[in-house]
Amino acid sequence: MSNQTINAQKEILRQPSTIALVGNPNTGKSTIFNALTGLRQKIANYPGITVERKMGTTIINGVLHKIIDLPGAYSLNHKKADERITYETLIGSYDHEEKPDLLLMVVDASNLERNLFLASQVMDLQIPMLMVLTMSDIADERGIRIQSQQLSNVWGVPVISINARSKKCDVQIKQALFEQGVATPKPFKWNPSKLLRQAVDRLDREWLSEHTQLPERARPIEALRLLAEGSLEDSFYQYSEEEKAKKLIEELQNTLEAQGENPTAVEVVQRYSFIGDSSEGSVTKEQRDEQTWTDRLDNVLTHRVAGPVIFVLVLLVMFQSIFSWATPFMDMIDMLFIEFGAFVGSSLPAGLLNSLLVDGIIAGFGGVVIFLPQIIFLFLFIYFLEGSGYMARAAFVMDGFMTKVGLHGRSVVPLMSGFACAIPGIMATRTIENWRDRLITIMILPFMACSARLPVYAVMISAFVPDKRIIGFLTLQGLVFFGLYLFGIVMAVGSAAVMKRIFPTGKPTPFLMELPSYKWPNISSVVIQSLERGKIFVTEAGKIIVAISIILWVLASFPTYEPTANDLADMDANRQISEQMLSTLQLNQSYAGTFGQWIEPAIEPLGFDWKIGIGLLTSFAAREVMVGTLNTIYSIEETEEQLGLIERLRGEIDPETGLPKYTLATALSLMIFFAIAMQCMSTLAIVKRETNSWKWPLIMFGYMTVLAYFSAWITYEWANTFLLG
Amino acid sequence: MIVPLTTTKIGEQVRVSCLNCTSEDTCRLQELGCVEGATGTVVSNQKNIILQVGECRLAITHPLAMNILVEPVSKKKSSNL
Ligand SMILES: Nc1nc2c(ncn2[C@@H]2O[C@H](COP(=O)(O)OP(=O)(O)OP(=O)(O)O)[C@@H](O)[C@H]2O)c(=O)[nH]1
Ligand SMILES: [Mg+2]
Repeated sequence: MSNQTINAQKEILRQPSTIALVGNPNTGKSTIFNALTGLRQKIANYPGITVERKMGTTIINGVLHKIIDLPGAYSLNHKKADERITYETLIGSYDHEEKPDLLLMVVDASNLERNLFLASQVMDLQIPMLMVLTMSDIADERGIRIQSQQLSNVWGVPVISINARSKKCDVQIKQALFEQGVATPKPFKWNPSKLLRQAVDRLDREWLSEHTQLPERARPIEALRLLAEGSLEDSFYQYSEEEKAKKLIEELQNTLEAQGENPTAVEVVQRYSFIGDSSEGSVTKEQRDEQTWTDRLDNVLTHRVAGPVIFVLVLLVMFQSIFSWATPFMDMIDMLFIEFGAFVGSSLPAGLLNSLLVDGIIAGFGGVVIFLPQIIFLFLFIYFLEGSGYMARAAFVMDGFMTKVGLHGRSVVPLMSGFACAIPGIMATRTIENWRDRLITIMILPFMACSARLPVYAVMISAFVPDKRIIGFLTLQGLVFFGLYLFGIVMAVGSAAVMKRIFPTGKPTPFLMELPSYKWPNISSVVIQSLERGKIFVTEAGKIIVAISIILWVLASFPTYEPTANDLADMDANRQISEQMLSTLQLNQSYAGTFGQWIEPAIEPLGFDWKIGIGLLTSFAAREVMVGTLNTIYSIEETEEQLGLIERLRGEIDPETGLPKYTLATALSLMIFFAIAMQCMSTLAIVKRETNSWKWPLIMFGYMTVLAYFSAWITYEWANTFLLG
Repeated sequence: MIVPLTTTKIGEQVRVSCLNCTSEDTCRLQELGCVEGATGTVVSNQKNIILQVGECRLAITHPLAMNILVEPVSKKKSSNL
């Protein structure tokens, strides 16, 4: 191999610069980003976790630099929304964003040759870089030895080798940047056939250089990509004279095809063969024949029959355990809030402020914070699974089924993140290649029971489903809980199957994915990330809930009720009961009560009264607010003793019949409504952003809400007839 | 002897000899390291295939695997499954 001289530049780091992290998916870019910036980007053992640009800063030798974390890509020949972001950032065609001054080219040392493919393409862009070999610990374990110096000579850039998970990784990188600097690589020389070269040149001349703002060095790559993919329409820009370009590309493609030329084949083969030659001197590997852990686990987990069964079992255990393990913690939080409310109530003089604090804010907030343990458990599970490398297997074994219903194996991970929250789930669909698969996944994703529904489910189940043990650790309540998640999945799958028929079928994209080797998840980072999510839950929910609780408290406390002579006479007879009656009368004639009773007829068929109705309305701000709202309403309406929301719901009596007002039927109907209805403004906003039009979020809102109403109605009727009749 | 990847057995070593799919799928396979001439080991074949190419483990569905033509290199004993 001919060695290159390295023209290391060190001055470049004297001024503030923008440094981008580029590399294959799942190579440790975000791990490095977090170490350098102190931020907490999501990290997991699955190719395609980062799906957007993320900015941070770091100080190297006294100078503040910007760091950009990018989605992973296998080549610059991008096919997916996330890869496109990386590509556009690199070629500097991102609107309003500066392009990177230098790169940290992240390369997985345990899978060097494959990773160097992207590196060699990126080098054509001639941006100064430092090559960072990550996973050096894993490479060591597998007996792969890499001579960094050798590698550096061949590629003409400085190389360092690190374990990105280790604590000192940021120091190592900074030191390397400072001591070794960066170097501008030379573009790779490959020999396209004459025909291909002519095609590239023509496309460059007649289209790219005239009609696009691409820098010169990026044009051959873009030309090649256009010849291979042929699609302009996915790009972010609306070009003028796009038609002309399309025609030109088609013409060139036809010429190439007639000569039996595959546009990318030559480039790829030559790059790989250069990589193969270059690693001869710098990489050695001990031959080992033993079965690895990954082999053994894969024999079971990717089994045709056992694989899907295990996946369902994993979900079952997950939902059962978040329901039962979290209970003691929830009781504790519940007690704390009751105590705290009582303390505040007794230490402040009675009056409006007291009531606003205790009944409005503390009750509303406490009603939601109580679900923090369940949320944290849910995230612990999800992060653990993602960190282990299992999720790629789940995607693989579920692909057959997913394809049948109009989705794709790659939909599995976005859908799973939907259990936490629909928003990251919708973002994660950027890893799906096919636009139609992606759209259907987005459109059904909100059916996945997100953590904001959990409080409503938990309250209703604890109040109205008998606490019976079925077998082993499975309880009836746990099963109903799992059933609700399952119901969400069934709705999602059913709707996808319907949409598959409605939306035009394109060419399907067969499932192809790299399976990362299993890793023991980094427990401390799993725990930290879960706690982080818990914090977000509390602060985000907190903000909305405090606001809504205050508004609601005002609406439910005014106008104040003036007792009539009749009431006063009653009060003499029995003080205790009358005070309770008074508060009920107060609530009923308040603004909230009046409005609630006005909408009651619309929700009566579903088994809801006006109090739930008010809860439903507020829940369109955020689902979990429902529970806070009920808590606030019930705190304003006093009882003899301090009771939790669950007892209050059970004890609510219908004044006309004298029977309990809420039954299992009400609970089921309400839960079904929540399972289906589109009650999340932020989700709609994200759908608008990802699909680039208001059409899809509006359709989503419409079909889900209508479906929710009728399903809840049917459920209520059915439960009344068959369960309680 | 050139056969579709789907007809290979677990543990078999193969050399990829022809990617007979659309240029887009070809491109996806290539950038993952599954290029013509690369050798790999069949880790699992249960309709869908897991093919280990170098250090990279690829999950490939049946329809795609049918279009990957390979040449068995040398028979290794089938691993116990
Ligand atoms: N053993 C080991 N594990 C690492 C190292 N670097 C990263 N990891 C793990 O590799 C996985 C992927 O890390 P990420 O930082 O999410 O990778 P990424 O490149 O940002 O991935 P995408 O965002 O999907 O492109 C995680 O499970 C990390 O804990 C390393 O040097 N050694
Ligand atoms: Mg990342």
